[in-house]
Amino acid sequence: MGIFDKEPVMFEEDGEEDRGEEASESESGSEEEEDVKLTEPSKNSIYNRDSLLDKLGDISWPENAGWIHRLSINVNQEQEVDVNDDLTREAAFVMQALEGTKEAFEKLKSMKINCFRPPDYYAEMVKTDSHMEKVKGKLLSEKRKIEEAEERRKARESKKLSKEIQAQKQKERAKQKKEEIESVKKWRKQRQQSGFAVGEKDADMNLPFEDGKTFERSNKKRPGVAPGDRSGGKAKRGVGNPNKQKKREFRNSKFGSGGRKGLKKQNTAETTDDIRSFNGGKVTGNKKRKR
Amino acid sequence: MGKKRKQIEAEVVEPEEIPERPKRTLLGWKDKSQVPDEETDSKVFRNKEKVLITCSRRINYRYRHLMLNMVSILPHCKKDNKVESKATKGATMNELVELRSCSSCLFFECRKHKDLYLWMAKCPNGPSVKFLVNAVYTMEELKLTGNHLKGSRPILTFSNNFDKDAHWKLLKEMIIQIFGTPKEHRKSKPYHDHVFVFSIVDDHIWFRNYQCFLGDAVFSLGTFNELAREVWEERQWGTMVSGFIVSHVVSLTRTECEISDKGPREDREKMTLIEVGPRFCLNPIKIFGGSFGGPTLYENPFFVSPNQIRALEKRKKAGKFAKKVKAKTRRKMHELSNPLEPDEFADMWKE
Repeated sequence: MGIFDKEPVMFEEDGEEDRGEEASESESGSEEEEDVKLTEPSKNSIYNRDSLLDKLGDISWPENAGWIHRLSINVNQEQEVDVNDDLTREAAFVMQALEGTKEAFEKLKSMKINCFRPPDYYAEMVKTDSHMEKVKGKLLSEKRKIEEAEERRKARESKKLSKEIQAQKQKERAKQKKEEIESVKKWRKQRQQSGFAVGEKDADMNLPFEDGKTFERSNKKRPGVAPGDRSGGKAKRGVGNPNKQKKREFRNSKFGSGGRKGLKKQNTAETTDDIRSFNGGKVTGNKKRKR
Repeated sequence: MGKKRKQIEAEVVEPEEIPERPKRTLLGWKDKSQVPDEETDSKVFRNKEKVLITCSRRINYRYRHLMLNMVSILPHCKKDNKVESKATKGATMNELVELRSCSSCLFFECRKHKDLYLWMAKCPNGPSVKFLVNAVYTMEELKLTGNHLKGSRPILTFSNNFDKDAHWKLLKEMIIQIFGTPKEHRKSKPYHDHVFVFSIVDDHIWFRNYQCFLGDAVFSLGTFNELAREVWEERQWGTMVSGFIVSHVVSLTRTECEISDKGPREDREKMTLIEVGPRFCLNPIKIFGGSFGGPTLYENPFFVSPNQIRALEKRKKAGKFAKKVKAKTRRKMHELSNPLEPDEFADMWKE
């Protein structure tokens, strides 16, 4: 019975995907199996034991009919089986079949009767080949489903695992860095203590990372660049004709790529007051405008 | 003319010397020494069981398939046309069985396209049993993966509670006679590769059919069964909530055991069972003395007919509405009989 004891545990592992489908298939069965029973036996039911036994005597075969004619085996059913527990019930049936066949085959063997068909004995089976082909297809598809589910599960797990590994690596790196800095500090202290002069060289040793916040970037996103500048600070350092260059740079920083444009292109109070662009009656400007 | 007469005389003389000519049989001359053997043989029991299998008209497809499965399982059966199920079906059935020269009968009677009753009768002089058939699965279910020779004689296993009571004993004897294939039946095959299980659980007879083979027995579906086992091992067939699949799991578990045997070759071989189907569950209703009739010998005291069950359910559902109406009227009466006191603060905010 060892095999059966394990099973309920094993079922829980996998197959949540299939649950819906299985349930729908089983409906027809469970529906039929429901069975109402009177709680107590009805009083006026007939039970004619003597005539039952009489009939049994009538129909039963003569004494000399050997076991080989009936091929029946009685099997002890050890414990009461709960009908509604499908697993144990079926297990009980299988055990009964198993013990019965064992006993029967022993008997047949003692009678020197060959009970297994030879491997080259082909004959009609109860299920046709086409039907068995279907069964096989079903099993194969079942197998494929299992494999796919397995793969999916593996992928999920590996993903999880890789994330963990990444996190660990980063942690390790940070730790290493910290350790290195510590060691440098230590070394410096040692050097100071061991009596090196706090002199010209020590100024060089004032490394940027010594104040603790070592490689932090400044809070500004683009250090050294004006907030409205689209050129990323390149506009400032220009060469060539200074006047033209300036204008170009300004325009680039105003209209060039990157950053938000919206606020830059709108007029403000200052730009409306600015009348530099008006040059007394000369018609220039927008050529697209119709006269 | 004279010549001929002479010849006749000569013949008359001769027979005293010539030994009697042995009887001729299909296989050759019958030897005198064998004759006494044959006589003892005739005394030896010979099972000549023939089972008529038929069903009523308007049978369900599922139940019809079950019947056809039974036909394929029992090589010693004769299948007949559908029978109109009338009040006088007992007489017609008896006639039919006699006409087909059968000694027993399995009659599948379907009522209301829902309920299947199985008559199991020994003809012509009884007894007969009426069962209600539950939990039917046919051989066509793809979950039942076994297969066995058509016509090989089954091994019948009974749980020991068949010997508990007189009616179970009688049923057991009937089942042995009807479901056991007669030895040396012309359609039977000389090997044993499947086993029937009859087990009484909860006062029902449960039927199962398993294919059995030794682990290394080569057979035509060898690879296929390997596959089945592989699938089984890889997956354990998932969490199967429903009964059917769970039990299928069990049927697929390579229930292995060792056959302790002195045979040098087949020593310690593994036995494997795979379910073939069909499966059903018989609930005995009545046992009659005659075939399809006669005095009632046994009546199941716990039996409730499916019609009654359905009626009960319906009544329950009908009761639901009646209860609602009743509750409503009761509430109304209650409200009328003790009215609420007028609220003194009712128009406090109206001013």
